[in-house]
Amino acid sequence: MAIALLGALLLITAATVYLFAAHPWWFPAGVSAHAAAIDHQFLVALWLLGALFIAGQFLLGLLVLRSRFNRTAEHSRGNWPLEIAWTLLIACLFFWFNITGNRLWSEIKLHQPEPDALQVEVTGTQFQWYFRYPGSDGKFGSINAQRFARPEEGNPLGIDPGDADGKDDIVSTSLVLPVGHDVDLTLHANDVIHGLFIPAMRFKQDTVPGMSVHTHFKPLQTGTYEIACSQLCGLGHYRMRATARIVTDQEFKQWLKGH
Amino acid sequence: MPRISEHVGIERKPKLGGGGPGKIPHRHGYGGGDDGDHGEPDDFLSTKDRLRRYRIGMVVTIIALSTFFAGLTVAYFLRLSVTHWDRDLQKTVRDLRPLALPYARLFVNTFILLVSGITLELSRQGLLAKSEFAAMGIAPPRFKTELPWLGITVVLGFAFLAGQIMVWNILRHQGVYFSANTRSGFFYLLTGSHAVHLAGGLLVLLWALVASSVRMRFESRQIAVEVTAWYWHFMGVLWIFIFALMHFSRG
Amino acid sequence: MRHPAPITTQTATTGLLRRYLFSTDHKTVGLQYFFLSLAAVLVGMVLSLLMRIHIVWPKAAIPFVGEIKPENYLAYLTMHGTLMVFFVLSTAPQSGFGNYFLPLQLGASEMAFPRLNMAGFWITLFAFLVLMAAFFVPGGASLAGWTQYPPLSAVASAGPGQGRGTDLWLLSIGLFCLASVLGAINFITTTLKLRAPGMTLMRMPLTCWTWFVTAILTVLAFSVLLAAAIMLLLDRNAGTSFFVPAGLVISGAAVDHHGGSPLMWQHLFWFFGHPEVYIAILPGMGMTSHLLSVFSRKPVFGYKAMVWATIGIGALGFSVWGHHMFVSGMSPYAGFAFSTLTTAIAVPSAIKTFNWLGTLWHGRIRFTVPLLFSIGFVSLFISGGLTGPMLAQPALDVYLHDTYFVVAHFHLIMAMAGVFAIFSATYFWFPKMFGRMMDQRLGALHFWITFLGAYAIFMPMHLLGAAGNPRRYSELTGVQYVAAMTPLHRFVTVAAIITIAAQFLFLVNFFWSMFKGAPAGENPWQCTTLEWRLPSPPPRHGFGDNVPVVNHGPYEYSSPGLSSQAAASDFLMQDAAANP
Repeated sequence: MAIALLGALLLITAATVYLFAAHPWWFPAGVSAHAAAIDHQFLVALWLLGALFIAGQFLLGLLVLRSRFNRTAEHSRGNWPLEIAWTLLIACLFFWFNITGNRLWSEIKLHQPEPDALQVEVTGTQFQWYFRYPGSDGKFGSINAQRFARPEEGNPLGIDPGDADGKDDIVSTSLVLPVGHDVDLTLHANDVIHGLFIPAMRFKQDTVPGMSVHTHFKPLQTGTYEIACSQLCGLGHYRMRATARIVTDQEFKQWLKGH
Repeated sequence: MPRISEHVGIERKPKLGGGGPGKIPHRHGYGGGDDGDHGEPDDFLSTKDRLRRYRIGMVVTIIALSTFFAGLTVAYFLRLSVTHWDRDLQKTVRDLRPLALPYARLFVNTFILLVSGITLELSRQGLLAKSEFAAMGIAPPRFKTELPWLGITVVLGFAFLAGQIMVWNILRHQGVYFSANTRSGFFYLLTGSHAVHLAGGLLVLLWALVASSVRMRFESRQIAVEVTAWYWHFMGVLWIFIFALMHFSRG
Repeated sequence: MRHPAPITTQTATTGLLRRYLFSTDHKTVGLQYFFLSLAAVLVGMVLSLLMRIHIVWPKAAIPFVGEIKPENYLAYLTMHGTLMVFFVLSTAPQSGFGNYFLPLQLGASEMAFPRLNMAGFWITLFAFLVLMAAFFVPGGASLAGWTQYPPLSAVASAGPGQGRGTDLWLLSIGLFCLASVLGAINFITTTLKLRAPGMTLMRMPLTCWTWFVTAILTVLAFSVLLAAAIMLLLDRNAGTSFFVPAGLVISGAAVDHHGGSPLMWQHLFWFFGHPEVYIAILPGMGMTSHLLSVFSRKPVFGYKAMVWATIGIGALGFSVWGHHMFVSGMSPYAGFAFSTLTTAIAVPSAIKTFNWLGTLWHGRIRFTVPLLFSIGFVSLFISGGLTGPMLAQPALDVYLHDTYFVVAHFHLIMAMAGVFAIFSATYFWFPKMFGRMMDQRLGALHFWITFLGAYAIFMPMHLLGAAGNPRRYSELTGVQYVAAMTPLHRFVTVAAIITIAAQFLFLVNFFWSMFKGAPAGENPWQCTTLEWRLPSPPPRHGFGDNVPVVNHGPYEYSSPGLSSQAAASDFLMQDAAANP
């Protein structure tokens, strides 16, 4: 039985290591400014915690096996120096890891977007994402979903038809962005909580009704990337998708003109 | 009441702890063999230990209730600080309206509740003294010092509840309903929860009052009044807290 | 040496109703809670099976159920989580085994408030029935997940199941909160006041310590959930706006609420929700410590450290709730605080893990089925626990939140480790409860399939999460990159089918052994704690008039000096004479 247990633990450890090393399904390529740092942090975590995982399972199996050769059990009640030593070791490891993570978090969250960042307003509804651009006047028109929303007339967000600023607003169901520029997103929701998740950008933020959340990222590569909804929002949660199209500056200007 | 020359084991001040090691609990009421459920299933420790047990149970209950009301209070503070982006006004606004409390009625109710705490305390101490006689094996004197106080407490309790209903009616006639705004919602929720819990305690006191005329054990009545008194005092303190909270945040 | 005269079965002076149904006997109440949990876990398991099958074979027609529609999937998901977290993990280890064995292990003859105990069970049963009723009301059960975030959970028009189904969910959970607090009052008072003479707090078995700390957590946490549930019920039915902001348009209609904060629900819920997961796992940790000691025939390594780690986990557990809300819209500054505190709570958990390994070290292990499940617990706890520090970092959680990575994490640690502790406790205490042994070979087979199956199901989910597969998707076809992961989902589903099927081994073993198992003696495992003094099963009033006097700690195995005794045993019962 001891051998079987050791064998099982070794098998599980080996299979897990193989799974994570070979990773037939894994993170998509990260194409935002922060993606590299986040991916690096994840790798550090994988090595550190993976080593602890392997050590833990292996030790468990070994201790179980060794007991086969014990005639009597050693009546040890514990060992304070050992207890303190390994507690300190683990605490140091985890806190070092935590501090590096906190540093990364402050890099991502606590600095302002560039002054020339593109402004885009994101609205989550059941079950469609809308992205609003301010248009050539650079200003968003005022919005009141309860009063003005008419999805069947092409005004799903409820832009006030009487507001001049809103006349040139562009509402799109794709997030089109110029490469290499910060985009400052303002996140809203009209009905329930949704979650804007762009895996390739390593970006996720819940959109909460009644709240206006600012967050930003910078795409570094052109291409088409999928957007999914990450916060359970009802029946259509699984199909609430959109596309992020990262294009060159020129293509972006053309796209804006075309709307 | 005759002076008690010897205090036999029952402390005047509530004391926690002291159970556990070092004492062999005295048992009565068991034989082996049958179910033992003659109507007093927790008759398995001495009176003193029973009292201590119920006291600890009441302390834990009060802690649980405190976290419940703390949760509501924290929610209230969070809500008071919530702002939202008003799309019409195009600015951040706080959606709050002041709450006009009917102070006259509320002060009367507070007075009633505090007096009921005093009368209940008198009843509790009377019963405690009586139980000392019982512990010494002497039949307690026939004169019932504690019952009138208990009865008065029950009447005052009902008066408080009736007074609360009056307060809610006053607010309703002013158009301040449950769902009117933040402050009103929390006012009804906090005072309503308080009233519900008070009513529960009131029912226990009513039972203790009635039970004296039925063949109920004195000991059980004494314990019931004792722990309900603690509960009642907590309800009094909680009421003062709620009143003060709503007053200072009335806007 | 004190040895109570065996108290034979009671005469039939009490009817069936009083003895089995409305009993104030803590043992009966414990068994009632246990069987309620068993019913709940069977329903929950079937629901998870239906979910897994629907994800990979959406058009499959299931016997008795038909084709599973998207709203069914989300309803199953909600009820699966609710049943498992509340009616299984918060019930069986604490209210089930705790009620049965806390008094016995403490040397008491009953819980502190037996009638309160009985009331607690009946309220819990009623809560379970109310929850199940949600399946049968128009619109069906709620589909907002066991976390019920408003406005989805607050507005009836937000989806099917958000009408009566959600009201019933809230009512059920409210009742469950009440019953839990009643039970916790009992546990705390019993532990403080009813210990046998000589049973100091530091001589209590670790199971008693974890039941005690769990009860304290229950008292502090469940009341907040009750407050939140009441507010949500009011939002839904009384027109208040605690959680619903202004300006919502749902299903084309304007919603008439204003000024509420959806985030406030999340704060209140997770302030309860995080201690809740410790309520679910702490008794299991105590059980594992206990069993590893019994079956290694040596004391728990670092008993005092274990006690302090338990208290530390309990206390710190109240400070970390924000790690469920890193991407919720909460201030990023709060992220730092919650991240650091969450990392801190990993330290006492690590202490416990080291001490379990230390208990096994140089032990003379007896490979019984309870031990197998305890070792499985340690292995699964390591696996599930180690992804915790990863998720504790907001920078990483931004990506991993609400993906299958989190699903893997909490299933490994709660569903598998927690359930393994319940299995080990069942196999261990079955002889005491029913006077018969469970079949050891069937039990070992059950262990092997479940252990390997657990890893087969949940390890691959880490990869799904890394690839960005969001949670609570009823189909994989909605988003292209998710559809690409279907092969891995299929593997997980097949593993789940096999593992769930293997649970029949446990059921068959359990019920067959109740009537036909080999008779167990008083102390088949040669364990030192007080419950093994009593006959199997224990008589109605436990120790009765023969109160044990405790002279030793709970883990006196292989003590030096024992070998000098005439009796060739390697253990010392807690109430053995002071100087053998």
